[in-house]
Amino acid sequence: MRPLRWTSEWLLVPALAWLGVFFVYPIGRLFYASLFTPALSLGSYAKLGSSPVYLKVFVNTFEISATVTLIALLLGYPLAFLLATAGRRAAGLMLIGIVLPLWTSVLVRTYAWMVLLGRRGLVNEGLQTLGLTDAPLPLLYNRLGVTIGMVHVLLPFMVLPIYSVMKGIDVDLLKAAQNLGANRRQAFLRVYLPLSLSGLATGCLVVFVTALGFFVTPALLGGRGDTMIAMLIDVQVSQLLDWGLGSALAVVLFAVTAAILLAVQRLTGAERLWVRVP
Amino acid sequence: MSSITRRYVLKMGVLTAAASAATRAGGPWIARAQSKQLVVCSWGGAYQEAQRKTMFQPFEKETGIKIVEASPTDYGKLKAMVQSNNVEWDLVDVGDLNVVAGAKDNLLEPLDYQQIDTKGVFPQVVHKYGIGTIYYSTVLAYSTKKYAKGDHPKTWAQFWDVAKFPGPRTMRNNPLDNLEFALLADDVPMDKVYPMDVERAFRSMDRIKPHVNVWWTTGAQPAQLLADGEVELATSWNGRIFAIQKQGARAGLEWNQGKLQWDSWVIPRGSKNKDGAMKFIAWSTQPKPQAAIVNEIPYGPVNQRAFEFIGAQAARDMPTAPDNAKRQVMVDPVWWGEHRNVLVERWNAWLLK
Repeated sequence: MRPLRWTSEWLLVPALAWLGVFFVYPIGRLFYASLFTPALSLGSYAKLGSSPVYLKVFVNTFEISATVTLIALLLGYPLAFLLATAGRRAAGLMLIGIVLPLWTSVLVRTYAWMVLLGRRGLVNEGLQTLGLTDAPLPLLYNRLGVTIGMVHVLLPFMVLPIYSVMKGIDVDLLKAAQNLGANRRQAFLRVYLPLSLSGLATGCLVVFVTALGFFVTPALLGGRGDTMIAMLIDVQVSQLLDWGLGSALAVVLFAVTAAILLAVQRLTGAERLWVRVP
Repeated sequence: MSSITRRYVLKMGVLTAAASAATRAGGPWIARAQSKQLVVCSWGGAYQEAQRKTMFQPFEKETGIKIVEASPTDYGKLKAMVQSNNVEWDLVDVGDLNVVAGAKDNLLEPLDYQQIDTKGVFPQVVHKYGIGTIYYSTVLAYSTKKYAKGDHPKTWAQFWDVAKFPGPRTMRNNPLDNLEFALLADDVPMDKVYPMDVERAFRSMDRIKPHVNVWWTTGAQPAQLLADGEVELATSWNGRIFAIQKQGARAGLEWNQGKLQWDSWVIPRGSKNKDGAMKFIAWSTQPKPQAAIVNEIPYGPVNQRAFEFIGAQAARDMPTAPDNAKRQVMVDPVWWGEHRNVLVERWNAWLLK
């Protein structure tokens, strides 16, 4: 054990205090509310088990989040590579393009998709004008609409962590690998990909966990089969005022999410996930 | 429209100023209330703008009670404020069901009906813990591009009849309203809707479910979907359809078999300016302020005497105009208060099936 360097450990105090007040305490209150509304009972959890709705909505939520993460990764990884290897000027412009949407509200971006993807939207009108389709395609108010909307919102959160890791990878390593006999594919798979893996894992986690709590996009772009858990929590908390059930839903979501994070950490090794060791 | 409103506001201002000058001499608590601000929370948007213009500002001018506005109404926040004893709102505009629910949860102050003149006020909006602000309706709305006025579906049975009235539809993602409409579509007479036969209602909903393209969650959605041509038939709050008509959208609404409901003023328990809130309620429920607000935005006055100050043409667009009201079902908030939570869960399960 190394001796405690208490001067540097003190630097943690503000962050821990912040987390304590704004994260640990509210989560604690949530646990409490899920059990003690109004008096100690497992009633709220029993209610969760008594109806198939909640299980179905949890399955929905994880399915949608996983799909969105996968698509964001497939789109984001090549984009991050392009960004990391582009010239300074081009990279700067591309970065602005990626970050700019973050300044637009999710609601506005969601409505923009309605304009584009609706029955009389730009895409459908375009396809029909070109004679490619006879009737409007169902692009909205179904799983496809939710997925498109969510990938759009979450893509920057995939690109940025991957990009920041890729920036630190020495591209000469790829040349060295090829120099030593690897073909381009091998050089990518055995040298570049492993080196960028920590960024990829961070991107996936951030996107997946954020997606789990999505509310506006599925509510506005989804169909009747695309209810996500945050929508049910909202109804319980702000319409039906059943805070016991609302808290129980939130606690279960929190617990399942934490379990997934821990499992991923176990499988991939904690260090690699969070810290890129150069 | 706005010049008419201005005239009403002016007239109303003079009259009520005189009235309040008379009461001002009336007692020490009035003076105390005047010194305090009154925090009013409402729904925002065009509705709160109308409230500001026709109620908040004139009331402020007459009584000297400064109104501070908040929005939007959030029942979760209201409950949190009362339970944590940190009540920031003195007066809140809530839906009819939340008067019953709020009273049950002990979140509200009882109103003092010694101070409120309820003459002309529709009796169903007068509750121990809240009183109506305006009436609105959920109605059948349609695209006039698809259906010429007169050829549109006029009953829920016709809305359900997808062979005769084809076209994409939107309904609210909520058992509220839809279960009533489902029963009417199944030929239940209007006066037999409550207490609702829930099984029958869901069976009827089963028939329309495959033909509903969008299940809306916010009030702006059905109007926007109609305006964009995304759907051709909808259930919608009447005010929203009026708003897009004004912007030139080709949309119409049918009052027949609509569902009449109302918003209420409530005072959160522990409000810091109960007296001011009571005073505002007493003032705003009177015929002239009631006429002023519905002339500004086409909801229905909760005070029948307000129609004396509303033009015949304008009255036709209002949910409580006698001709419109008699063709609609009046919500039963007590029935809903007892069944709502269970039905929302059932609704969610039904929707996912």
